[in-house]
Amino acid sequence: MEIIVCIKPVLDPDMPPAKFSVDSKTNRVIPPEGMPLVINPYDALAVEAALKIKEAKGGKITAVTLAGSFATEILRKAVAMGADEAININDPAFEDSDTFSTAFILAEVVKKIGKYDLVLCGRQAADWDNGVVGSVIAEYLNIPSVIRAKGIVVTNGKLRVERVVANGFEIYEMGLPAVVTLSSEMGQARIPTGWGIINAVKKKIPVWTCSDLGLDPVRVGKTAARNSLVKLYTFSPSRSCEMITGKDDKEAAGKLAEKIMDIKP
Amino acid sequence: MKVEDKLALNKFEVDREVHIRVDEQICDRCEPKDCLYVCPAECYVIRDGHVTFSYEGCLECGSCRFSCDRGAITWVNPRGGFGICYQYG
Amino acid sequence: MENFDAIVVGAGPAGCAAAYTMAKAGLNVLVLERGKYAGAKNTWGGALFGSAMNEVFPEFWKEAPVERSVSRHAISFLTKDACLSVDYKDSHSDGSSTPGFIILRAKFDQWMAGKVEKAGAIIAAGLEVDDFIREGKAIRGVKVGGEEFPANVVILADGVNSLLAVKAGLRGEFKAKDLKQGVKEVLRLPREVIEDRFNLRGTDGAVMEFVGHCTLGLPGGGFIYTNLDSLSVGVVVQLSALLEKRVKASELLEEFKAHPAVQSLIRGGELLEYSAHLIPVSGISMMPKLFADGIMITGDAAAMVLGTGLILEGANFAVAAGVAAGNAAIRAREKNDYSSAALQSYEQALKDTFVLKDLNTFREAPHFLENERIYNAYPQWACDLMSRIFCSNGKPRKNTFQVVRESMKGRFNIMQLFSDFMRARRAM
Repeated sequence: MEIIVCIKPVLDPDMPPAKFSVDSKTNRVIPPEGMPLVINPYDALAVEAALKIKEAKGGKITAVTLAGSFATEILRKAVAMGADEAININDPAFEDSDTFSTAFILAEVVKKIGKYDLVLCGRQAADWDNGVVGSVIAEYLNIPSVIRAKGIVVTNGKLRVERVVANGFEIYEMGLPAVVTLSSEMGQARIPTGWGIINAVKKKIPVWTCSDLGLDPVRVGKTAARNSLVKLYTFSPSRSCEMITGKDDKEAAGKLAEKIMDIKP
Repeated sequence: MKVEDKLALNKFEVDREVHIRVDEQICDRCEPKDCLYVCPAECYVIRDGHVTFSYEGCLECGSCRFSCDRGAITWVNPRGGFGICYQYG
Repeated sequence: MENFDAIVVGAGPAGCAAAYTMAKAGLNVLVLERGKYAGAKNTWGGALFGSAMNEVFPEFWKEAPVERSVSRHAISFLTKDACLSVDYKDSHSDGSSTPGFIILRAKFDQWMAGKVEKAGAIIAAGLEVDDFIREGKAIRGVKVGGEEFPANVVILADGVNSLLAVKAGLRGEFKAKDLKQGVKEVLRLPREVIEDRFNLRGTDGAVMEFVGHCTLGLPGGGFIYTNLDSLSVGVVVQLSALLEKRVKASELLEEFKAHPAVQSLIRGGELLEYSAHLIPVSGISMMPKLFADGIMITGDAAAMVLGTGLILEGANFAVAAGVAAGNAAIRAREKNDYSSAALQSYEQALKDTFVLKDLNTFREAPHFLENERIYNAYPQWACDLMSRIFCSNGKPRKNTFQVVRESMKGRFNIMQLFSDFMRARRAM
C-alpha cells in the first residue's frame, strides 16, 4: 500500500482563547508569538490511520504539506509518528491559495509522486474548518472519496470505510485508489517514540516548488482563488442575565414560559 | 483576579494521566497542610474534607515537592510534551 | 542501536551551551527536552547579564529574540505607602561594556535550541528522561519510558527540579530554606506607554527591583522588567519563609502590584501569562557533586546561582558551566575515558572561571540574606528617615544626625546595625 497523507500546521486548538487575535484591516489572523503551530489534529488522525493500514498490509507512507512556515516541524511530527517520507510543498506563488487551489496543488503533488493507492486527509483543518480539500483532491484525481471516516480497512485490494453520520455510521466499499478524510471518532493519534523523534530530526525533507510541479503560477495562489474573504473579525457575544421571580415556583415558571414565547427568532 | 483566572490564560497541554499524587491517609493526619499555601497555582484544595491535587493547572515549579516533609506527595514531571507550555516565560 | 558521544538532558541555557560546544567540536550529541519545545517549561525574572552567552554566541542580541537592553537599573525600598530608590542609568554609548539584556525565555530558548541544531546536535523535544542506563556504577546513557538511549557521557542540565540528579546519587533533595519561589505575570502594555513611564528610548530597558513591603518583610523581593511591549512583574520569596508565615506568593504579588509606586508603572497592563519557578539560592553550600562516572551536572540542577543581595544571577553561570561540561566531554572523548577521574577536568575548569570563584567569594551571602531586618526594619527605616528629612511641618527642624538617630528608635539598635554592616562586608 502506497499511502499519501496531506497534513497542515494550525494554531494550537488548545490555546487559551484570549491568545487569539485577528487583524481586521488585513483580514488575517495574528499568530500568537512564541507559540509553535501544531499538526492539525484531524491530520494527525490521518497519519494514524495510514500507520494502522501499513502495520496490517505493509507499504510506504509519504506525508506532504503545503504550509509555508512550520512545514518542517509538522512533517517531522508525521515522520516521528512513523511516516516513511515527507515532502514540503513550498513556493511563494502558493501563498494565499484558497481551498480549491490548495486541493489542485495537492492533486498535482499526488500525480507527481505517481504511485499511490490511498490519499488520506483530516476531515477539516482545525483553523478554518472548511472541510473541502479532501473531496476536491478526489475530484481533480477523478477517484472515489469518502469523508468523515472513523475506520478504514483494506481487504483484497478493496477499501472498507466507516463514515460518520449524524445518528451512527455508514459502511462504504470501494476500489483503490481513493481519497478518505478522517474524523475524530477514529480515536487517538499515537505519541511519537523517542527514536521516532530522533529519526525525524535526521530525515532529509525535500522541497517541491511550483516549477518542480510544472505548474503555471496563474493557476495557483491568490490569482486562482475562487473564494475571497470579505471580513475577518472576532465575535464578542453580549450577554444579559435576568432573574425571574414569582411568589412561588409555579408563578416563576409561568413567567419564564411567557418570556421565552415573547422571544422573536 | 483569582489565580484560577490567571491560569486560564496559560497554555497547557493537558494529559489524561495525573503526574502528582497525594497520599490521602498521610494528608488527613497532617495539621499544617503547607501544600495549600505553597502552591502558586493553588492546585491543592480541600475537597470533601481531604486534600486533593488538581494537576491541570500545575506550573511544575516543585514548591510542593520541597515543602511537604511528610512524604505525602509523589512528585514527578508530566509525561514529555505535556503540562505547562509557556509562551513568554 | 546508535551510541551518542553525549546526551544532554534539558535544552535551557546550560544544556544548549554544553550541546553547542560539543556539536561544534564534531561530537555526536543528543539533547532531550521534556517540554513540548525548548523553553516551554522555563520562566525567570527577566534579564541576562555577563559575558558567557556572548562568548558562546557572539553578538547574540543582533540575531536572538531579546526584548530590550538594560540601560536603567533601579533598586527600591518599599514600605506600605512609600518608596525610596537608587536609580542607576547607563546608556552604554561608548560600547566599552555589554549591557544586560531583558529576555523572555520561551522565545529565547527556542532560538538557542535552533542554534544548537544548526551546529549539528539533535534536539528531541517532548521526551522526559526517567532513568539511566547503568553499567556497574557508571552511567552509560538514559531511558525514556521503555526506550534506551546509550551514550558515553550524560550531562544533566534539567533545572532546579532535577529528579535525575537525585537518582544519579549526585545529591539529595534540596531543602525549602535553600530555595526561593518566584511568581510572575507578563502584562501587555503598548510600547510607547512603557517607554514614557520608564523613561526609556528605543529598545533601552529598565530593571526595577524592590525590597521590603512587597514580601511583607520576608526574605526576597519584587521586580519589574520592561519587555518590548509587555512588562514582567513578579515577586521572589524564600520558600521556607512562605511556609513559616503561611503566606501565598500569589497574594504577595497582588499586594506588590497594588503598591502605589508599582501600580503607577503597571496600570492598564493586560495579563498575558502567569508563571512560577523555583530558584536555588544557597550557592556553594547546596551544590551537588558535579561529576561521577559517565555523568556531569550543570546549571540550576547543580544550584549554580549567585545571589549577592544586589543580584540574582543564574543563566550566565549556567552558560559558562555548560561550556565547561561540554569541553570536559570533548577531552574525555579524545582520551576515550569517561570515568569520574577523567571528568574531574569539568570541576577544575569551573574553579578556574568565575563560576566557582564568584560562588566562593559570595559563599556567606545566602546566609546573610536570611536576615529579616534587610526586608523589614531597614526599608522602613530608610523610608521613614526620608519622610522626616523632607518633612516641613512648621516646627523648627532638627539636626540631621539627630533625625537619623530618632528614626532608628524601636526598629534596631546601633549594635545590630554595626553587626549587620560587618556581616554584609564579609558576605558581599
